[in-house]
Amino acid sequence: MRAWQFQKVPFVFPALILFFGAGCMIPIAYGQGVTQNVGQQVVLTRWALRHIQQRHWPDSPAQGAGKFAVGITEESLREMINEAVANGRPRENTHGRPGEIYEYDFGRPIGTTINGSPASRLRVVISTRGQVVTAFPF
Amino acid sequence: MRMDFRLSEDWNQDFADMATVEETDLRYYVAQGDVVLGTDQTDLSADWGWIPLVDFALALREIADALSESEGSETFEFTESEATLQFDRVGDKVVITSSYRPGEVTVPFSDFRKQVDEFARRLDKELLQRHPELGLNPDYQRLKLSRSH
Repeated sequence: MRAWQFQKVPFVFPALILFFGAGCMIPIAYGQGVTQNVGQQVVLTRWALRHIQQRHWPDSPAQGAGKFAVGITEESLREMINEAVANGRPRENTHGRPGEIYEYDFGRPIGTTINGSPASRLRVVISTRGQVVTAFPF
Repeated sequence: MRMDFRLSEDWNQDFADMATVEETDLRYYVAQGDVVLGTDQTDLSADWGWIPLVDFALALREIADALSESEGSETFEFTESEATLQFDRVGDKVVITSSYRPGEVTVPFSDFRKQVDEFARRLDKELLQRHPELGLNPDYQRLKLSRSH
């Protein structure tokens, strides 16, 4: 028994390092935030974040696109995406687009629709690789 | 009915190598522009500058395929908003309405089918002229914008 426990140590210790280290390595090495959904990892890349900021940030000049409320930050965006993916209603993406759509109603205004009305819902598009493609209020 | 596009000028700054752009990028980020859609009486254009035109062409082709069999309704969802275009097959015609502009466009289904195919073919031609390396892109080739029936 004692011999078996001794042999197990060299395997358990590196495994613990890998397990706890992985969550830190991804954001630091690649600038990505990772959240754990039920059986699914969702990654918000720098690229997708920039896309969302250009289209959907409160000061974005893009026409015809939902806008987040003033005060949105990268951190609060990540939190909203996490919540929408964890608790939202998923559906297959439409008309042959790859990936899935998650929609979630926060029950409070999170931004505006394209006609300027208050929007309480968030639509998040997730690629087949588990990466956020876009996210916007509606 | 007019169905046309205007490519924006600034979308390609983010894509150094169009030969390796993947399908999700092609359908969400590449070849953005305006969609021109309407008649002399009704304008359902989406002139927001960011419509991914490859995606629009592919989705409308799928909608035309779906409506070719029988009467029914299909909805196109824009990629970055809650805006939609609704296509209803009524007899041998298609009625098009939008969530963002008033009015409707009614067009014979055969004309709709032809316009959808022509839109995709023109887009394919213009994109390949501007970015010949797309011709080497396996994902782009697989989408077959200029397919023939």
